[in-house]
Amino acid sequence: MNVELGDVTRRFGRTQAVDGVSLEIGTGVFGLLGPNGAGKTSLLRMMATVVPPSSGRIRLLGADPGAYGPRRQIRRGLGYVPQNLGFYPRFTVLEFVEYFALLKEVPTARVPRAVAAAVERVGLGDKATAKLRTLSGGMLRRVGIAQAIVNEPDLLLLDEPTAGLDPEQRVAFRALLRELGERATVVVSTHLVEDVGAACTRVALMDQGRIAFDGTPDELTARGAGTSAAGDAPLERGYSAVLAEVRS
Amino acid sequence: MSGVDDIPGDVDLDRVWIGVATQVWGRRPGPVERAARTVLRSPGLARALVTTPSLLLGWVVATAVVLLAGMLATRGTGTPFVALCAPGVAAAGIAYAYGPGVDPAWELSRSVAVSDRMVLLVRALAVFGLNAALGLAASAASGTATTVTVGWLVPMTAVCGLALAAATVARSANVGVAAGLAGWTITVLSGQVAAGRLTAAVTDTTLRLPYLTFAAGCALIVGYATRISRGTS
Repeated sequence: MNVELGDVTRRFGRTQAVDGVSLEIGTGVFGLLGPNGAGKTSLLRMMATVVPPSSGRIRLLGADPGAYGPRRQIRRGLGYVPQNLGFYPRFTVLEFVEYFALLKEVPTARVPRAVAAAVERVGLGDKATAKLRTLSGGMLRRVGIAQAIVNEPDLLLLDEPTAGLDPEQRVAFRALLRELGERATVVVSTHLVEDVGAACTRVALMDQGRIAFDGTPDELTARGAGTSAAGDAPLERGYSAVLAEVRS
Repeated sequence: MSGVDDIPGDVDLDRVWIGVATQVWGRRPGPVERAARTVLRSPGLARALVTTPSLLLGWVVATAVVLLAGMLATRGTGTPFVALCAPGVAAAGIAYAYGPGVDPAWELSRSVAVSDRMVLLVRALAVFGLNAALGLAASAASGTATTVTVGWLVPMTAVCGLALAAATVARSANVGVAAGLAGWTITVLSGQVAAGRLTAAVTDTTLRLPYLTFAAGCALIVGYATRISRGTS
């Protein structure tokens, strides 16, 4: 298992953002669904080793992120796209992706090829030498994805990755997710149910810091069958039914 | 004229193109970055160093201009403006070396193998060193007494420590700059009130130990604010 969480909690002041989450995630695309404020971003940030848990046990790529050496090793195999991805406006696409390849300690000799491959994979080859300040929101999102995959990560964490992408780009992005999920663990936090249905092999639904559902997209769809839960698509109705159930 | 149809089926064009793109887009690091790679033994840390906001050409030129103006004013009036302004200028540079208010991709940089603490340390030392060198050059050229020429280095350490600690704790470079400048202004004015000399904060040797103790305290605060979590597993 690339991700092992045991009774993980995270508190920010008086707010209990994550409350006793236990998960084991292997290779494939794992969707983390939930309404705003459910705790998805906090959980993802802990998996990205950006913040430590308040309590509980985390193992990533078979190592303990609490110790310096193993955490550095984990980070070499980690790709992360935060919800609010900042950019250096004067950097070009290539410079930005190269910068993070170096910070991820990709061997220097492999960096140029890894950068070129990552930029091409997200379809930004024709913008490779463009300054980031000249790019649209959707293009910047793709730059963020390029830096995340530049080290061919074994664990890829994406927080709302399709925000700002147009429908055509989202379709291409889901295909990329499926491709990456064949060899790596890909965790996608989103509140867009259709992304999960199209790309994920497993899905967890979070609400108020807890896991309210863990199963396949088909199993989530089945939870909405025969109910009056809100939603335009079967998966959305399953999502609404589970939320209504845990809140009742 | 041959076209794509003439290419043998076992040729992977994507792979060929990536090879071409690698050659076309590849760039050699500049001399400063290459030197930093040699010294630091980390290409990532070297790149992080050369992207330090307060080490970019514009910032360095602005620092040099301020110190040059201070040097000319010192030579014209006899008041050691270089010694009085150098710690404040350095504090601003240190506050803008690293942090969430300075690095747009700070959240992302906290998830990479090169630790943010190392980036902070290397950038802060580089900014401090450059400011000290520029300040010493300006101070020496201004013709002040030796005690004044080098006397501001110790208070500069304390003021830089204050700026860095404030910027790190408040997660804002501007707060760091404000704290550094305010702290240094108060120190200089207090020295004038207590000793009747504007340069007392720089030349009074009894203040060196308090300055260094204060700087060490600030370093501990920075260390705590950027502490590495031990985790719970």
